[in-house]
Amino acid sequence: MSSARPAARSIVSWRLASASVAPPSSSRLAASAPSTCHHFHSSTQLAVRRRPRFRNIPAEEMGLVTNQKIDKWAAKKFPKYTPEEMEELSKNYSPEQIAALEAGEASIDPRDLTIQGRLRTDSYRMPYIDDFADIQPIIDKRPRRQPPPDPMARFMNLDEFTEDLVAWSQSLCKGEKTGKLKRLEAFVPQEFKKVPEGEWPAGVRADAVSKYTTYIEDEAFKAKLSTQDGSNDGPSDADVLEYILERSSMTDNNLKSNSSMAPALPNKVPGVAGLYKNAVDPEDRGNDEEGIYQDLKKRTGMTLDQILKITVKTVVTRYVTNQTRLGKIQTCNIIALAGNRDGWLGIGVASSVEFQIAKRKAELLAIQNMQPIRRYEDRTIYGNVEAKISGTVVRLNARPPGFGLRVSHRIFEMCRAAGIKDLAATIPRSRNPMNTVKAVFEALRNQPDPEEIAIGRGKKLVDVRKVYYGGQVY
Amino acid sequence: MGIQSITNVCANLQNAARARLGLTSLPNNKYNLALALALHRAGFLSSVTRAGPHPPPQDQLLSFEPEPVTSANVATRRLWVGLKYWDNKPVLKSLKAISKPSRPLRASVADLNKVARGFESAHLKGLNLGECMFVSTDRGVLEVREALERKVGGIVLCRVS
Repeated sequence: MSSARPAARSIVSWRLASASVAPPSSSRLAASAPSTCHHFHSSTQLAVRRRPRFRNIPAEEMGLVTNQKIDKWAAKKFPKYTPEEMEELSKNYSPEQIAALEAGEASIDPRDLTIQGRLRTDSYRMPYIDDFADIQPIIDKRPRRQPPPDPMARFMNLDEFTEDLVAWSQSLCKGEKTGKLKRLEAFVPQEFKKVPEGEWPAGVRADAVSKYTTYIEDEAFKAKLSTQDGSNDGPSDADVLEYILERSSMTDNNLKSNSSMAPALPNKVPGVAGLYKNAVDPEDRGNDEEGIYQDLKKRTGMTLDQILKITVKTVVTRYVTNQTRLGKIQTCNIIALAGNRDGWLGIGVASSVEFQIAKRKAELLAIQNMQPIRRYEDRTIYGNVEAKISGTVVRLNARPPGFGLRVSHRIFEMCRAAGIKDLAATIPRSRNPMNTVKAVFEALRNQPDPEEIAIGRGKKLVDVRKVYYGGQVY
Repeated sequence: MGIQSITNVCANLQNAARARLGLTSLPNNKYNLALALALHRAGFLSSVTRAGPHPPPQDQLLSFEPEPVTSANVATRRLWVGLKYWDNKPVLKSLKAISKPSRPLRASVADLNKVARGFESAHLKGLNLGECMFVSTDRGVLEVREALERKVGGIVLCRVS
């Protein structure tokens, strides 16, 4: 640290000097200003900016860029066409092309070309010299020669399609044969030309008809020859193929596309619009934005409020795993209950890889499968019923009022959903959860009906509970 | 052969009903006839007719005049009983014999009383909704409610529903 650098020394000396000499002159400030900059190399800094020994002279001072000079140079470099040259050009170009040439010449000012026009020398310049008159497919973007597609275009209806087809077929019709053919009148003698066909004498008529037939045959033969030449009327196979593949089916007057890709379908394709979107029903008052219940509403005819009031509960969940080459695939099986707690009950069985999907499917199915369950006095079942699903047997017994639901938990949920209040149940054999629920549903559906029994036997059946005590038992 | 013929009748009638037969025949004897008539009274059978080995004409099932039973034709007599169906289901769904020759089951009036009310008694389970039980008493074969009216018990033959 003992050896101070020259610049540091100069700063120190300048500080001392500025403290002693006041005020410092501007030239001294200007001279010492660079030394205040931080320096990045060890060579000694110059006291002042180095100036060239010989002064440069600007072009303006030499009179090189005056207007006269510019115009003179432009006139020499970009001369106008002389009359001789124009005459020469007019031999090769049509008057319209000559006019276009003149307009192009007039649109460009030679002075601008002189001042601004120059060949680029920067590193981003084009690797070629071009006036961009030709399209080079490798370098240039694909030209868009066709107008943009019609945003209002729609699919043609039957009438528009027919018109389009007729227009297409007429565009292919090269010659009109029928209009040019002679008629029968041309072959009768002069005095009969004005006379209607019915008043011709028989001989004249026969003569004319024979000549006319010969003429028609000749014409047909000629037409046949011409078709063999290839100058055929009507669409060729290529035309038909083009019609099928490339003719626009929209009302855009067969607008060609700039792209080889087919145009995208419009937003609303007739017949498809609305099919794949959950139409939100304003009656739902925003309670079913996802459209979960729309299908169910159609199937059941219930309103959303009625559907949402239904008690839904998942009673059985089972996971099944399938071992495949791709790994273990777990599937969820679910049984859901649906009931209105007043005599209607349904069960829905669904499975899915996703628990939530299976649950939703099962619940919707349960609501859809709801059916009326017969209830004795709206509290218990008729008699004792038994149902068997696989190895599971379920016995349900009617019980008196106040007995309650002395049943297992799944049957309890089913009874609650169905509005049954007094019941006893036994599951003497297998207690498989799925089969239990199914068997209980089966049993509840197959209760004996006293009315049916009475009709079948031709007997009068009386419920004594409703006969004794004046029917005041419930 | 008394109770044995009754158990045979039970099996026969249940099989016939499950096979959806309209008419079937039982061996002709007094016990079968009494049971068939009791079932007819209870509404399980549409007709009970005694005829020969061939069924009587179907349009005359109810008005058929059987030829008198003689010692010459008694061996060929059969009881032709008509089965009933309602709503595509047999009216006589199940018929289960209770007594069998090796174990006749007798029930007193008190037992029948409980059984008819749906409670278990003796070795009999209570009757379910729409179920009938037939008892062979000294007043003939009676349905359990008829027997209770007459305050008689006897051999419990079968239960029908």
